[in-house]
Amino acid sequence: MTMRARQETSRQELLRQDGVLAITRGRAPTPGTEPGANERDEEDIFVAVFDDGSVAAFNGHVDLGTGIRTALAQIVAEELDVRLDQVNMVLGHTERAPDQGPTIASETIQISAVPLRQAAAEARRALLALAAARLGTGALEVSEGIVLAPDGRSVSYGALLRGARERVPLSGAAPLKRVEDYRIVGKPVPRVDIPAKATGGLIFVHDMRVPGMLHGRVVRPPYAGLDAGAFIGNSLLSVDRDSVSHISGVVDVVVIGDFIGVVAEREEAAARAARELRVAWKAFTAPASLDDVEQALRENPSTRRVLKDTGDVDAALAGAAKRMPRTYSWPYQMHGSIGPSCAVADCSEGRLRLWSGTQNPHMLRTALAQLMAMPEARIEVTRMEAAGCYGRNCADDVCGDAALLSRAVGRPVRVQLTREQEHLWEPKGAAQLIDVDGGLDAAGEVAAYDFVSRYPSNDAPLLGLLLTGVVKPEPAVLQMGDRTAIPPYDYPSLRIAVEDMPPIVRASWMRGVSSLPSTFAHESWIDECAAEAGVDPVEYRLRYLRDPRAIDLVKAVAERAGWERRTGPRMKAEGDILRGQGFAYALYVHSKFPGYGAAWAAWVAEVEVNRRTGEVTATRIVTGHDAGLMINPDGVRHQVHGNVIQATSRALKERVSFENGLVASQEWGGYPILDFREVPEIEVLMMPRPEEPPLGAGESASVPSAAAIANAIFDATGVRFRKVPFTPEVIREGLQPALKTEAGRKRRRWFAGLGGLAGGLVVAAGAAMGWASAIAPARPPGADVFSAAQIERGRLLAAAGDCAVCHTAPGGAVNAGGLALDTGFGRIWSTNITPDVETGIGAYSFAAFERAMRQGIARDGRHLYPAFPYTTYSKMTDEDLLALYAYLMAQAPVRSVVPETKLAFPYNIRPLMAGWNLLFHRPGAMEPDPARSAEWNRGNYLVNALGHCGACHTPRNALGAEKRGAATFAGAMVEGWEAPALNSLSRAPLPWTEADFHEYLRTGHSQRHGVAAGSMAPVVANLQVLPDSDIRAMAHYLASLNPSPAERHPAPLLAAAAPGPRQGGSEGARLFQGACGACHGGGAQEGPEVALALNSNVHGDRPDNLLRVILDGIRPTIPGHGEMPGFRDSLSDRQVEILLRFIRENFAPGHAAWPDLPGAIARARKLAAH
Amino acid sequence: MPAPREIALEVNGRRQVLHLDPSAPLLMVLRNDLELNGPKYGCGLGECGACAVLLDGRAVRSCVLPLSRAEGRRVVTLEGLGTMEAPHPVQAAFIAEQGAQCGYCLNGMIMATVALLERNPSPSEAEIRDALAHNLCRCGTHVEILASVRRAVAERAA
Repeated sequence: MTMRARQETSRQELLRQDGVLAITRGRAPTPGTEPGANERDEEDIFVAVFDDGSVAAFNGHVDLGTGIRTALAQIVAEELDVRLDQVNMVLGHTERAPDQGPTIASETIQISAVPLRQAAAEARRALLALAAARLGTGALEVSEGIVLAPDGRSVSYGALLRGARERVPLSGAAPLKRVEDYRIVGKPVPRVDIPAKATGGLIFVHDMRVPGMLHGRVVRPPYAGLDAGAFIGNSLLSVDRDSVSHISGVVDVVVIGDFIGVVAEREEAAARAARELRVAWKAFTAPASLDDVEQALRENPSTRRVLKDTGDVDAALAGAAKRMPRTYSWPYQMHGSIGPSCAVADCSEGRLRLWSGTQNPHMLRTALAQLMAMPEARIEVTRMEAAGCYGRNCADDVCGDAALLSRAVGRPVRVQLTREQEHLWEPKGAAQLIDVDGGLDAAGEVAAYDFVSRYPSNDAPLLGLLLTGVVKPEPAVLQMGDRTAIPPYDYPSLRIAVEDMPPIVRASWMRGVSSLPSTFAHESWIDECAAEAGVDPVEYRLRYLRDPRAIDLVKAVAERAGWERRTGPRMKAEGDILRGQGFAYALYVHSKFPGYGAAWAAWVAEVEVNRRTGEVTATRIVTGHDAGLMINPDGVRHQVHGNVIQATSRALKERVSFENGLVASQEWGGYPILDFREVPEIEVLMMPRPEEPPLGAGESASVPSAAAIANAIFDATGVRFRKVPFTPEVIREGLQPALKTEAGRKRRRWFAGLGGLAGGLVVAAGAAMGWASAIAPARPPGADVFSAAQIERGRLLAAAGDCAVCHTAPGGAVNAGGLALDTGFGRIWSTNITPDVETGIGAYSFAAFERAMRQGIARDGRHLYPAFPYTTYSKMTDEDLLALYAYLMAQAPVRSVVPETKLAFPYNIRPLMAGWNLLFHRPGAMEPDPARSAEWNRGNYLVNALGHCGACHTPRNALGAEKRGAATFAGAMVEGWEAPALNSLSRAPLPWTEADFHEYLRTGHSQRHGVAAGSMAPVVANLQVLPDSDIRAMAHYLASLNPSPAERHPAPLLAAAAPGPRQGGSEGARLFQGACGACHGGGAQEGPEVALALNSNVHGDRPDNLLRVILDGIRPTIPGHGEMPGFRDSLSDRQVEILLRFIRENFAPGHAAWPDLPGAIARARKLAAH
Repeated sequence: MPAPREIALEVNGRRQVLHLDPSAPLLMVLRNDLELNGPKYGCGLGECGACAVLLDGRAVRSCVLPLSRAEGRRVVTLEGLGTMEAPHPVQAAFIAEQGAQCGYCLNGMIMATVALLERNPSPSEAEIRDALAHNLCRCGTHVEILASVRRAVAERAA
């Protein structure tokens, strides 16, 4: 049986139960509390001990992946003297746990665990009193929940509580255990949640399933990542619900102000509907460009707040022997949760139940009450685990989304945000700009420190409140730029001020809050002073430190790391590699000013700088940490590791990019983070201070990071970097200011496109020709007219001839027509070729069919456009035509009226096609070439008569006819795809051999060339029914088109193409690594189908095929080959351009850059996904 | 969108016959139709690895694979490796070394490790790091994850 502490009982219910000791504290009733079921909801429970010996303990803070659940359980088990596995921690559940504010500022152990510990002690005292009465003695000991009397008698906690209903107010006065008596606290304990997480147990909110649950997706407005400005919440013009009516299982499209959500029975339908929903938005202008974040911060309106002003700073500055004015800047960064936020809401009968990964369940409940106009007492938030958030993510926003959608459809709804939405809309870790003025006296001592910081951030109100217009988009100004703004050094004069300002983009606290950038300034500046004074940087710091724990820590870390004393940058070089070591220290001071400290931390960072590529590698980080008493030393160590790695990533790599004032980083290629290959060696020195109170360890170790790394880079290079992140471009520029990258290559415009060639010639060519006569309708022949063998032969011919490729609309019945073909002459709709009498070819006699196939004339006498390849079909043998007719007529008729093809003048005059035919059409069955083998002739027939390969692969003249002679199979553009040359003009890096053609046509994939995608994918799929002898014949014939290609071997090509360098020396390399590298990076994942260095498209003259694949991915019709996701909604035009350029340079070195990429991208964006 | 049809595959040792759109992402089918929690949605672009499953023994990213890719093949998810009571050796190694902070990426880390050890039972440190290079972890659990993999390697050799 489940132990009672694990049963999901609300606090009011629990207080009514027998067999419970509850430690409670009164509070104001939950807003909206009504008489009835929850009328007594004015008491919190901190600890409940049950008559089965189990213990439930309640805390308002939640576990964000830090292991706090385990540490809190240790505290309770220790004070109560029970086993750890007897304790169940209930975290953040609004019906059960107390409201202790949001889980922020490393406060859980330091602040919110205090009443918990007192309550556990209170419970122990109450239980001992019961035991004393029972056993008749006060001289009692407790071990694992068993109370022992000196005479050997014992009674368990559980037994003491049988039938009891004990309610004890939390006095705060129960005696606490002495640290030296601890058995559980202070010992390393395995995390309680990891086994379930490692085996797929139900623990994450993402995995919550409720009966009857639907799936929701949201469609966010185009003002990505902004939450202030008049356009917020009122930019929606219209939503076209019909645009998703074709998607089966869509339940509702919900629109409230700028909030849009779709709900569907299945998740993939919801996802598709969200992608395809047509929405019109008003134009808007982002308030700041953010191309220059520093400028934006200086221009953002602000109010100065002086935090500290001691000594006469102005006089000291005026009298300084050496003025040291410096500016340090920090970029916008992302929390970057690995799991995009998710929530499940069930809103019915005036109540809202919510399963959430929120960081602040009670604060969320208040916001939801406002959003839903519902009393808080009717909202229950169950907090489940979620992906780490490091401050903030969209966990609350998605709860608002789910609540709105559930209310609209009256059923439970699970909403999953996309990666792109999480990246775009999470409240960013704010940028920061710090101006320091200061000076040294003649002795090299600091005379003055004048510090001003700008930090545009607030608490990022629930997005739903803003989108629905419930809350006006007027940004609050929160005073949060003051964290650790006061340096830890005792300078003789000091003036510290912050410019309080509203956010520019949606921003909120991120691990270390403003302390991290402020410390970057404090610790870089003092390092600069030490170098200026010619004093060792650690020694210099110690001159100004007064805090004994800080002094101990700094000395201990320097010693552990093997600190190398120096009086200036040492610039140790070995070839291109420069090595350096840097120091930084911080006491993370947080919460409302003046705040208080969490753990102390100091770093010694060792780096290697490649002076040629600019790459900085953190090779070793030694971090000292003083957190006082460590509840779970393993947990603290893991937090330090996490802080070191995440902060190293932030310092070296991370910066949100903006385009037109909007967030442009939508996936991991655009926002790279440290990977396993880049993780430094890490040593952690934990200061043993069990006698000191426990301190928060969730953020402190990240605070010295960037300064320690910058100081190490300075030691290595002699150059000071004051702007995070230290990417290779920044380092290269800093090291070689004279050798700035030369201006971009001159671009020439590139003109192409069939459409541009269409002239007026066609009018003259065919004006005199008349109509062809109609052939009388025939009754469709019955299925018994033709033999099974004939029909089967026809089936293969239809496949080889690719009838269905053009005559089937997406999602439509096979051969029922309706596919739009965009030609240079306009849009042509394919027709219904099922044997339906009215709408298809059911009234075609064989004679009418043969005329259509050989002469391009429909039964009624209309000329067909040569998009229908009768020019090649005319070469078919009579037997094959009859077999094809037999097959088509044997299929089920489908009534399907397709849109009428309406070309613009003069192409709309169909009789003109007669003239065209006169000029370009050579009717008549193909004669075999006696000089060639039977296989070649078969291949020729399949390729040229049936397969009409030239329809795509041969360029057409101005009148749309395939060119002849050398131009045959010379390659052409079709519907935005390049059908590459099959003759000697092929640009493939390796020549296409007969074996290559066979593999490609048979499987849709060639190891040496690539995957069939775009218009070619369905062609290969159709060929699957053909016997292998036919595929071999086609391959044999196609190989003969380019009879003596230059020999090439793949090895040099592969060698010439460097896989992405380790760190990504350019934005293109980083985009490639993040977005493409998992499959194309030569890594160990299920491999790339073809090395990009061998891919024909990467070596082609046009970027179109690669570009379209990047935008729309590959959905091969043959399962199992080359699936690729599209990045249309994940990368900006600029990012696509950079990526294309990188792929071309890296994988096809020696080829000229593709011209006019922006133009090509703009064109491809307009084309629908294939 | 292709029409639904019957698709048979083996998931965690059991034959499953589903009547579904063959282009549905394998990840969504595993999570929503088969109610498996192991594979997680992380990016939908194959970038982060949170959705990894084993397809015929190789780690693949189920968010970018259509269901049809798994037709007639053998899929193993985190649940198919072992249970809380009887974890797979790699799961046991991650539990022993505490190779998770938030644990959202853990599925991918374990799956990538299982696949790595299948093809290379004694990988070097560099080979381990290369194999996990495109499995993203944001908590900075890399130190514990690497220790978990090393433990799994050592215990396999023992």
